[in-house]
Amino acid sequence: MRAELIIDVSGLRKHFGRTAALDGLDLQVRPGEVHGFLGPNGAGKSTTLRILLGLIRASGGRATVLGRDPWADAVVVHRDLAYVPGDVGLWPNLSGGQIIDLLTRLRGGADPQLRRQLVEDFELDTTKLARQYSRGNRQKVVLVAAFSRPARLYLLDEPTSGLDPVMEAVFARHVERVRAEGSAVLLSSHILSEVERLCDRVTIIRAGRTVQTGTLAELRELTRTTFRVAAGGDGAAPVAAAVLGSLVGVTSLRTADGTLEFDVDPDRLPEVLAELARLRPSTVLAGPPSLEQLFLRHYGDGTEGEVR
Amino acid sequence: MATLVRARLGVLVRAQLRRDRWQLLAWAGGIGVLAVASASAVRAEFGDEEQRAALVAVAAANPAFLFLRGTPDGTGVGAVTFFQVFTFLAVLAGLMNVFLVVRHTRGDEDAGRAELVGATPTGRLLPLVATLVTAAVVGLLLAGLVTGGFLVAGLELAGALLSGVALALAGLVFAGVAAVCAQVLPTARAAAGAAGALVGLAYLVRGIGDALGPAGADPTRAEPAWPSWLSPIGWSQRVSPFGQQRPEVLVLHVVAVTLLFGTAVLLRRRRDLGDSVLADRPGPAAGGRLTGSVSGLAVRHQLPSLVGWCLGAATLGGLAGLLAPVVAEAVESNEALGQLIARLQPGVAGGTVEVFTAALLGMAGVLAAAAGVQTVLRLRTEESEGRAELLLAAPVAVRSWLAVQLALGFVVTALVALAAGSAAGVGLVVAGRGASWLGTGPAAALAHVPAALVVVAVAGLVFAVLPRLTVPLGWGAMVLALALGQLGELLRLPAWLQALSPFRHSSALPLEQLDRTATLVMVVVALAVAAASVLLVRLRDLTT
Repeated sequence: MRAELIIDVSGLRKHFGRTAALDGLDLQVRPGEVHGFLGPNGAGKSTTLRILLGLIRASGGRATVLGRDPWADAVVVHRDLAYVPGDVGLWPNLSGGQIIDLLTRLRGGADPQLRRQLVEDFELDTTKLARQYSRGNRQKVVLVAAFSRPARLYLLDEPTSGLDPVMEAVFARHVERVRAEGSAVLLSSHILSEVERLCDRVTIIRAGRTVQTGTLAELRELTRTTFRVAAGGDGAAPVAAAVLGSLVGVTSLRTADGTLEFDVDPDRLPEVLAELARLRPSTVLAGPPSLEQLFLRHYGDGTEGEVR
Repeated sequence: MATLVRARLGVLVRAQLRRDRWQLLAWAGGIGVLAVASASAVRAEFGDEEQRAALVAVAAANPAFLFLRGTPDGTGVGAVTFFQVFTFLAVLAGLMNVFLVVRHTRGDEDAGRAELVGATPTGRLLPLVATLVTAAVVGLLLAGLVTGGFLVAGLELAGALLSGVALALAGLVFAGVAAVCAQVLPTARAAAGAAGALVGLAYLVRGIGDALGPAGADPTRAEPAWPSWLSPIGWSQRVSPFGQQRPEVLVLHVVAVTLLFGTAVLLRRRRDLGDSVLADRPGPAAGGRLTGSVSGLAVRHQLPSLVGWCLGAATLGGLAGLLAPVVAEAVESNEALGQLIARLQPGVAGGTVEVFTAALLGMAGVLAAAAGVQTVLRLRTEESEGRAELLLAAPVAVRSWLAVQLALGFVVTALVALAAGSAAGVGLVVAGRGASWLGTGPAAALAHVPAALVVVAVAGLVFAVLPRLTVPLGWGAMVLALALGQLGELLRLPAWLQALSPFRHSSALPLEQLDRTATLVMVVVALAVAAASVLLVRLRDLTT
């Protein structure tokens, strides 16, 4: 099982002087999966990616990429890998086309058909000099370079942060294409809808440590269900609020215009549902928390996030 | 309203001064120290009037000397110091201002900082105006330092003050030139390159004027010819702080500064942020042969500056070649002068042509080292601006990345030296000094390459071990080697300290025999340091 992991990181630590950027990070990426890598600013996402690329060395813990040590075997690992950095610095006096060809040739050469397709899909003017590109266009240059040659692993650091929604869709299409071809993608992102749509599994980190990992379904099983309930009739809302508020497992209760909203702990769900039925509500909406809600809980304060 | 603008201007100027404080202190302080050191050296070496008169008489009769230094203007310690060092100081002041102005104008636009400032209620022109004010403040500082330095060295007040002001105003003219270049050209690199080349041109033009200048009745003075009026450095020389004292010439500087600053402001007013008068043309849609490998990329990026360095070196070498015979004729036709030269440079066997050529090709060796160091230091920019991350995320080993650039730095060093030596050789052949110079010229220049390689390799080692300090320490090592090697005698440093500079161990062909042992040792040291850097760079993190 472990041997076939594309990325296998456990207990990873990295210190810069006295500050600990990573403090026991775990991350597993399996073949053929798109893995979301989430965390607030400064949580250590880019540091992790740089360690996985062998650009910086871990202070402790274990990391393998494609079954190898990314620091010792950097060059070998990089043959099967494509990278899009979060902060794209390009050669100002080279054109976009020249940069795409440089980066792909270093990896063994672009697939010409793929390159043409990507340039067309991303609507990139490859004759512009890099210094004239906007941030989004700089990102497109690197994305075209990354996707124009097949790789076993794509490391993408907030690749769509400068792209418009149409280009985001193009990006999503190409991520899905490489997944279908069996490649693995590690996608660090802040755009939750994108992660929800693309990612098979997600790892959430905070302050250099993994706080949650699993499929979105798994993450949701561990978390509360959100209810939106319309109380049946005038004056019913305050009564319902009083009843629900007294139940164990109901949190974040709020009332607005006769509608009640609250979260329910997974293990108290049957009891709360029974009580709710007795209140004879007119409508009930129940849904898993959005990724955003999951996210905000881990971003908000540390104590609530320790689910595992 | 006006006070508000003034307040914002003050904020911008203070921010610029704060950002540059160390850099500007190093530049202005360095210029000040050089001024003091020269005055002290003149006083120490040519203490009495008679010695100075002899020196000046030799120089005045020697167009090559006039070309390099300026025209003599009397025999006082102040006058001789001014003659010896002022044109160099003016070039340094000009370059300081070029970098200062471009950094805060086009440089900020390139980096996107100008957009941040432009979004505040400063107005479009204020950042440019603030930069020019900063340059003026730095000019004031420079004038103060040089005046103070000359006073400390015991020169008279009026002369010291006029020297300081003439230097600062010449520098300010180049600040104006740089401001215009920054409006016209699309990148900071191009703007600084063009403005820096104009500083060099100003030096050359006044050199031609000075060299062609007729000697007056007084053998200790020479009047520059008309070309020197074309150069701001020439204007400053004509202020003649320790001779006739003509402060009225400074009006020229003021007019030029006003016109240039005004032009820059007008150009800025008419253009968009990030736009330029000469715009970028589109590039190729696909990569060519040179953009397919690390070495190709390195060569492609170094080519334009290599051409620039070679042209500079060839100009220097060509001048040496063409001027040396002129010098020689002047000396040979005057027996007394010949004896003086022999006395001034004791223990040197060889004719004037050889002495002169060897000295100028020594300078070419330093130029070659600077070209190599600049090549190696490019790695640091690549790393800090995030491009190394892209490159090294491809299957490129960090060791080969450094090794390629070091090798390129070595090649650049050799090529620049070769350009100088070949141009000198050709110049001497053209001047009818015999075909043998075609080989001797390049050989004499190449003899300085091993020492230069050591300096280049040290820059590589700093990059490998202390990435954040690469630029200051890399150039610092270069300046230190230059100071210990070329100026060590002038500054009267102990012999062991001077011996630390690799330049001390170069053989001055054709005056000296090639010291095979020293040459071999330096080549081995350069290769060993380079190898050590390639090994050590693997041990460190990528550091942005």
